[in-house]
Amino acid sequence: MFSIFKEHKGFGKQIFLLAKDELIKTYKGAVIGPLWAFVKPAFTIFVYWFAFSVGIKALRAINVDLGGTEPASFDFFTFMFVGIIPWFFIQDSIIQGARALRNNRQFITKVKFPVSTILTYTALSRLFVHLLLIVAMYVYVVLKVGVSWYNLQFFLYCPLMFIFFVALSWSTSPMSAFSKDFENLIVSVMSGIFWLSGIMYDSYGFDEPLRTVMMVNPINFFVNGYRNCFLYNRPFYANKTELAIFIVEFVVIFVLGIINYNRLRKKLPDVL
Amino acid sequence: MTEPIISFKNVSKTYILYKNDQARFKALFFKPKNPKTNKALNNVSLEIGRGESVGIVGDNGAGKSTLLKMITGVAFPDTGEIQVNGQVAALLELTAGFSTEMTGRENIYLKGYILGLQASYIKTIEEKIIEFAELGDYIDQPVRTYSSGMKLRLGFAINVNIEPDILVVDEALAVGDAAFKKKCTNKIKDIIASGVTVLYVSHNAKSVQEMCSRAIYLKKGTVVFDGTTEETLKVYEETKAAEKAKKKK
Repeated sequence: MFSIFKEHKGFGKQIFLLAKDELIKTYKGAVIGPLWAFVKPAFTIFVYWFAFSVGIKALRAINVDLGGTEPASFDFFTFMFVGIIPWFFIQDSIIQGARALRNNRQFITKVKFPVSTILTYTALSRLFVHLLLIVAMYVYVVLKVGVSWYNLQFFLYCPLMFIFFVALSWSTSPMSAFSKDFENLIVSVMSGIFWLSGIMYDSYGFDEPLRTVMMVNPINFFVNGYRNCFLYNRPFYANKTELAIFIVEFVVIFVLGIINYNRLRKKLPDVL
Repeated sequence: MTEPIISFKNVSKTYILYKNDQARFKALFFKPKNPKTNKALNNVSLEIGRGESVGIVGDNGAGKSTLLKMITGVAFPDTGEIQVNGQVAALLELTAGFSTEMTGRENIYLKGYILGLQASYIKTIEEKIIEFAELGDYIDQPVRTYSSGMKLRLGFAINVNIEPDILVVDEALAVGDAAFKKKCTNKIKDIIASGVTVLYVSHNAKSVQEMCSRAIYLKKGTVVFDGTTEETLKVYEETKAAEKAKKKK
C-alpha cells in the first residue's frame, strides 16, 4: 500500500545525488551550459510580451478584481512574469514526469531499484531550475512591486506544487511507460492547457459560472497562488472556494497516484 | 538440506504479448480478453539451501533469465511465492544501473544504497572494490569517461565485494582482458568456497561442471530435472540429442 514511502526510506542522499546527476546530463556539452536554464524561459517571456503588448497593442495593463472597491491594475509584463514562472515548472513536470520512467528504464529492467524515487529525483532536478528562476524573478519583484510578508507564502506554494506534480506522475509515468500513446496524449494536450490556464489572462476575470469552472484547473491554483505571494499581496485562503476545490483535487491525485503506481509497478519490467 | 535461502513455490510468470499499441493502451484500463501469452515459467517449485552452488541449464527461452530476474528482485511472478533470505548480488548486467555523470566512487555508494547497505559499511569495502577494479585515478572520474572494459570491471568489483549471501552469475560474463577474466573466475571460485550460495547460468556444460555440484534443467518454463550436475547434464544432453534426431526425421 505505502510502497512509495518505503522505497524512499534511507534513500534521501542518493535522491539528491541523482538529481544533480540529472541536471548535469541536461546541460552538459552546451557551450553556455546552465545558462540555458535562463535563456529558454527568458526568450519565451519575451515572445509573449512582444506578441501581446507590442503586437496586439491591447494588453498593456491587466485589471484584477481583488475584492476592493476598484479592481487593481497591474502592468501586463509583471502580471505574466509572475504567473509564467510556475508554469514553466508545471509544464516540465507534467511532460518530463510522464516520460521519467521510460527514460530511466535501465533502473527498472536491469537492477533492483526503488522505482518511485526516479520520479522524485527527476522532479527535484527541475525544482533546482525553478528555484534559480525564482531568484531572478524575485529580484524583479523587489524592484518593481516591493517586498511583502506575503512573499513568504512561496514556501507553502512551492513545496505543495512539487508534491502535487510528483504525485501526478505516480499515475502518468507508469501509464506512459506502458503505452506510448498515453505519453503522446499528454504531450499533445499541454500547449492547449497553457491557453486554458490563467497565465496570460486573469482566471478570476469571468462571470459565473465560468469563474468557478476555472478554479477546477489546479494549474490556476498555483499560478494565482504565486501572484498572491508576489503581486496581489494577499493570503492563500483569500479565495476559499478555490482552496477547497484544490484540497479535494490534491487528495484525489495523491490517492490515484498510489493506486496506479501499485497497480502497474510489477508489470513495468515486462513492458519497458 | 539445511534451511533454504531461496525458495520458489508454484511460481508462474506469463508475459502478455499485446497485438498492437492499441491493445496496450486499452490494457491500461481494462483487463485484456484472451490475449496471446508466453509462459516464461510454469509452476516452478524449487529450494536452494545456504551454501549450495547450483547451475541452471537450458536452451534459449527456457526461462533462465526470468528465474534469475525474480531472484534478484527485478521481475515479479504472477502467481506463486518467492522467498529470498539474504543479500543478492548479480553478475548479470554489470554496467547497468550506473549513473554516468557520477564518479566511479559515487557509483559504489549508489549501488550500495540500492542494495540497502549503510554508508559506514560501504566505506569499509570501498578501497577493496577500487583495488579489485584496477581503475587507479579513474575512480574519481565520471563513469561516462570509462571504457566499456572499465565499466565492467567496476560493476564486477562492486558486486563481488559487497559480501552477498547469494551470488547470481551469468556465464556470458566476459570481463575485460584474459588476465582480469582469470581473476574473476578465481574470485567466483573463492566465493563459492567461502560458503556463499551461487546460482550459475550457462549453456556450457563444462563450466557448470567445474563450478556447481547441483544443477537444474529448465525447459519451456518447467523444471525437467533437478539433481547432481552430472545427472542433470546427462539428461540435458540426451534430450537435446533426441530433439535433434527428431528434427532430422
